Amino acid sequence: MLGSADFDEQDVVVADFEAGVGTLTRLGEEHVDTVVIVAEATPKSLEVGARAAFLADQKAVGRIVVVANRIRGPEDLERVRAAFPPGTEVVGVPHDPKIVEADRKGVAPIDLDPDAPAVKALIALAATLLPHSN
Amino acid sequence: MKLAVVGKGGSGKTTTSSVIARTLAKGGLAVVALDCDSNPNLGISLGVGDEETERLVSMRQALDEGEEAHAPTWDTLISRYGSDGPDGVRLAVVSRIDNPEPG
Amino acid sequence: MRLAFVGKGGAGKSAISGTFARYLARQGHNVLAIDSDPLPGLAFSLGLPIEYSPPIPDDAVVERKEGEEGPRWRLNPDVDPLEAVEKWSVEAPDGVRFLQFGKIKGDPRNLWKSQIAFRFVVNRLPPGNWNVVGDLPGGTRQAFTGWGNWAQTVLIVVEPTAKSLLSGRRLARMADLDPESPKRVLAVANKVSEAGDVDMIATGTGLEVVAAIPLDDALAEAERRQLAPIDFAPDCPAVLAVESLVERLSEERVS
Repeated sequence: MLGSADFDEQDVVVADFEAGVGTLTRLGEEHVDTVVIVAEATPKSLEVGARAAFLADQKAVGRIVVVANRIRGPEDLERVRAAFPPGTEVVGVPHDPKIVEADRKGVAPIDLDPDAPAVKALIALAATLLPHSN
Repeated sequence: MKLAVVGKGGSGKTTTSSVIARTLAKGGLAVVALDCDSNPNLGISLGVGDEETERLVSMRQALDEGEEAHAPTWDTLISRYGSDGPDGVRLAVVSRIDNPEPG
Repeated sequence: MRLAFVGKGGAGKSAISGTFARYLARQGHNVLAIDSDPLPGLAFSLGLPIEYSPPIPDDAVVERKEGEEGPRWRLNPDVDPLEAVEKWSVEAPDGVRFLQFGKIKGDPRNLWKSQIAFRFVVNRLPPGNWNVVGDLPGGTRQAFTGWGNWAQTVLIVVEPTAKSLLSGRRLARMADLDPESPKRVLAVANKVSEAGDVDMIATGTGLEVVAAIPLDDALAEAERRQLAPIDFAPDCPAVLAVESLVERLSEERVS
């Protein structure tokens, strides 16, 4: 789907994919530069994340980053790390009441509070995703 | 650069996509945010609001039900059926919400 | 009753439907719990330690012969839906029978015949034998596109967030447009924490809210430990709220 597309005028395409089986399969067929896998420290979330990582790995995608989301403590981060192959890049994003508030209100988290811990962590991650920064 | 954000529903991938898209756009890049979820909500996290998000989804539905014989090209999808969000992020809804595959 | 739980991913459908099925069975009813999500979910909430159960065999569906009319695939005429349930479901605590979509370990494309068979079996169960409690995958993909035809009542699980409300409205609209069996569509407010949440959800979806399940850490903890909420924390507010919902729907006999 994305692989054949010609996005001349855009510097970056950020594609938000649902994590159904169909998508995970298609992920193995896509051409993407970076896959960001978002997972919480729960069995179901990690199951989906691990499968996505497996498929992305098979396709030799440029870079795979796992966002360990809604982390409440070191055990959560460890649980997420343990679900992926050793050496996988894992970025922790803390559980954040400001994200909860943004969700409730239906506003962009980055507008509600750009200095909230979770938002700052994601902004920092974005900076590392810049096309020329590797 | 093409970036795919994936995750189990409810894990936070849409929030993650939105902050990444907005941040890169604030940094001066031309960013397209594609909502490939069959239940599209990215517009809300990007900051366009729920009404505009739903309007884009309805447009996408109408597109498929309309006169077009072929699937829209990427350029058409993005330029005619997309919407400008904050920081100039261009949002487009890719998937139909009632695609009947098992998943 | 034949109930399908739908809603945006992460809304809490599996925890609620699993608890609902267990409690309904404890009231003495025959309960068949079904999970049509290709990714695992309901089993844990029911209290089943298994992640994967054998899928319905491929030969449960047959292909249309050359020259025959009708859809390409149909249920093997030798397969009786009630017998299929006896044969291919597994027993969960409290006597709940559990029928699961084929779960993907390897290539999901290998399971599609089994998935079609599942859909046929479930959609053709004759009324009266089983109370069916179904957990449909998050989002709109399955809910009203033929995978929930067996349901008489659809419960949309909605959290007090803008995205969840938008999903709830969408699902309610799709229910309205669904030409298949007319269904009763209701909302279950989940992760309720503030005074105006139930009203927000009722107004935001336009639906009658039949239960308000409070935000409850016990559900998250149960999930982390892969235990059924009804086993891990039987007296927690969320479980008690689901039990009230069972009682309410049983009394109303709406489904």
